[in-house]
Amino acid sequence: MKIKHAKDFWSGMMFAAFGLGFAVIAQNYDMGTAARMGPAYFPTVLGGLLTLLGVIIALRGLKAEEPDSQVDKFHFTPLMLILGAVVAFGLLLRPAGLLVALTVLVIVASFGSHEFKWREIIPLTVVLTLLVLGVFIYGLSMTIPVLPAFMRD
Amino acid sequence: MDLVNNLTLGFATALTLANLLYAFAGVLIGTLIGVLPGIGPIATLAMLLPTTYALEPTSALIMLAGIYYGAQYGGSTTAILVNLPGESSSVVTCIDGYQMARRGRAGAALATAAIGSFFAGTVGTLILASLAGPMVELAFKFGPAEYFSLMIVGLIGAVVLASGSLIKAIAMILLGLLLGLVGTDVNSGVARYSFDLPELSDGINFVAVAMGVFGFAEIIANLEHTTKRQVFTDKVGKLLPTMAEFKYAVPAVLRGTTLGSVLGVLPGGGALLAAFAAYTLEKKVTRNPEIPFGKGNIRGVAAPESANNAGAQTSFIPMLTLGIPPNAVMALMVGAMTIHNIQPGPQVMTSNPTLFWGLIASMWIGNLMLVILNLPLIGIWVQLLKVPYRLLYPAILVFCCIGVYSINNNSFDVTMTAVFGVVGYLFYKLRCEPAPLILGFILGPMMEENLRRAMLLSRGDATVFFTRPLSLGLLILAAALIVIVALPQISKKREEAFHEVD
Repeated sequence: MKIKHAKDFWSGMMFAAFGLGFAVIAQNYDMGTAARMGPAYFPTVLGGLLTLLGVIIALRGLKAEEPDSQVDKFHFTPLMLILGAVVAFGLLLRPAGLLVALTVLVIVASFGSHEFKWREIIPLTVVLTLLVLGVFIYGLSMTIPVLPAFMRD
Repeated sequence: MDLVNNLTLGFATALTLANLLYAFAGVLIGTLIGVLPGIGPIATLAMLLPTTYALEPTSALIMLAGIYYGAQYGGSTTAILVNLPGESSSVVTCIDGYQMARRGRAGAALATAAIGSFFAGTVGTLILASLAGPMVELAFKFGPAEYFSLMIVGLIGAVVLASGSLIKAIAMILLGLLLGLVGTDVNSGVARYSFDLPELSDGINFVAVAMGVFGFAEIIANLEHTTKRQVFTDKVGKLLPTMAEFKYAVPAVLRGTTLGSVLGVLPGGGALLAAFAAYTLEKKVTRNPEIPFGKGNIRGVAAPESANNAGAQTSFIPMLTLGIPPNAVMALMVGAMTIHNIQPGPQVMTSNPTLFWGLIASMWIGNLMLVILNLPLIGIWVQLLKVPYRLLYPAILVFCCIGVYSINNNSFDVTMTAVFGVVGYLFYKLRCEPAPLILGFILGPMMEENLRRAMLLSRGDATVFFTRPLSLGLLILAAALIVIVALPQISKKREEAFHEVD
C-alpha cells in the first residue's frame, strides 16, 4: 500500500514517537494526585495528547492526497559536514583552543558547499579568526581559551 | 499625567550615552544580519543574544530590541533588492518591492519602507506606552487559573493565526511544551528526562533549541538549493518617492499601521500576520490601481512594511505586561530577560520602572536610528548582498558556535545545538513549521507551574478554570478561535490569505 501524503504520515509518526517516549519515561517519576501533581503528571498528559495527535496526523496522511506531499531527498553530506564541524568545534575548544577549533569549523563546514575553493576559504578563516579575536576576546572580554592547552600558562 | 512622567523617565534612561550606543549597535548589527538572506529575526536574535550577556539588563534588552527591528528592516531591504525574503514577514514585500526594483524604483521602495516603518513604529510605541498601565492592572487580578487559561489562548492563537496545517502546529506546540519540561522539577527536585547527564538537569538551553532549529537547519536547507540570486545593485535609483507615489503611499501607511497595531497585540500575531493582512486589505480597498498589485505598486510595499513594524512594536505589550510571549520572537525576549534574572510579568513595571520605560523609549529612538542609518547606508547593504553564500554561512556558523558556547562556557550546549539542527532539518523536510515549538518551549514550565498552583488552590477540582469568570472568558475565547478556524468556509479563506503570495 502506498502512503499518499508521506510528509504528514512521517510527521505523525515522529510526533507519536516523541509523545510515547516522553509519556513512558515519565512513568519513572511520581504521578501525584490532581491536587498535588507530581513530576510525572503534566508530561504524561502532554505525552499522551501528542501521541494521539501523531496517530491522527499519520492516519490522515495515509489517505489525503495533495501535490508535493512526498518527502524530498535528504542531503546527508551537508548535514553531516555542517553539524560535524559544529560538534568538533565544541569538543576542540577547551583542549585545543579557539585558533584550532575555529579553523576546523570553518574548513569542514565549507566542504558542505558545492563551490569549495581553498583560495577563498583560507583568507576567510584568517579574517574570521581576527574578527572573533577582536570582537569577543578583546572587545567583550569573553573567557574563551585562545591557544591550545599545552601552550597556555 | 502619568504617561508623560513615565515616558520622561524612559527617555532619561534611553538617552544616556551608553544606552544610545547599545541601541545603535543593536540596530546596526541587527540590520547587518537581517540583510543576509535566509536568516530571520529569530535566528539573528538567538545568534546575537550572547553578545549582551555582559551588559546591564536594561542595556541588554535595549540592544536586543534594536537587533529585532534592525533585523526586520534588513529583511525588507533583501526582499526588495533580491526578491528573497530575509524573514517570513517580508515575504509580502517581495511581491511589489522587487517589481519596483526591476523598474528602477528600488530607492523609492526602500525609502517608503523606511519612512512607513518609522511612522508605524512611532504609533506602535505610543500605543504600547499608553496600554501598558491598564494591562498591568488587569494582570494583577490574574490568579494561576487565569494565567493557565491565558497561555492556552496564547498557544491556540499562535496556531490559528499561523500558516500551514493546524493539527501539525498543535503537535509542535505540545512537543515544545514537553521539551521545556526537561530538567529539574522545581516542586519535587526530580531531574526529569536528564538521562543522568548533569548538564541536562538544568534543562535544555533555549538558545540551543532556537539556533539549531532555525539557524543550523536553515543553513543546511539553503545549501541544497543552488539557485542564483540576482541583485539589483546598480540601479537603486533615487531615494525620494515621486509626488504621485507619495500620495498613494500615505493612506496605505495609515491603514497598515492601524491594522498592524491591532494584530500585533493578539496572541500569535505580530509582524507576520500583520504584513499578510495589510497586503490583502490594500488589494481590497484599491479599486483601480494605477499599477496592478504584483507589478510594483507602491502600496504593496508601504502597507505591509508599516503593518509589520507596528505589529512588531505592539507584540511587546503582552510580553512586557503579562509575561506571556505572543510569538516566537517575544519568547526569545522572555528567555533573554530570564538570563538576566528578570522574571517577566506584571511586576516588571513596578519593580524595574527604568528598565520598563527605558526599553519603550528606546524603541522609538531605535526606529529613528533605523531611518537615519539605513537610507544613507543602503549602498553598504547592497555590497553585503553581493557576498556569496558559500562565504557567509561559515561566518554565521562561527558566531553561532561562539554564542552557544559562551552561555555556560561548555561544549555540551554546542553539541545540543547540533542535535537540534538535525531535528530542525527533519522538521523542514516534513514541513513542520518550527515557530510554535519555540513558543511552547518557553511556556512549558510556566504552564505546568500555574496548572499545579491552580489545582492545589482548588484542592484538585478542575472546574476552577470554568468557574472563575476571567478564566472562563479566556477559555471561551480559545474555543471560539478553534471553532472559527475549523469552519470550512473560514479555513478556505485562511488558506487563500496565506497562499495569495505564492
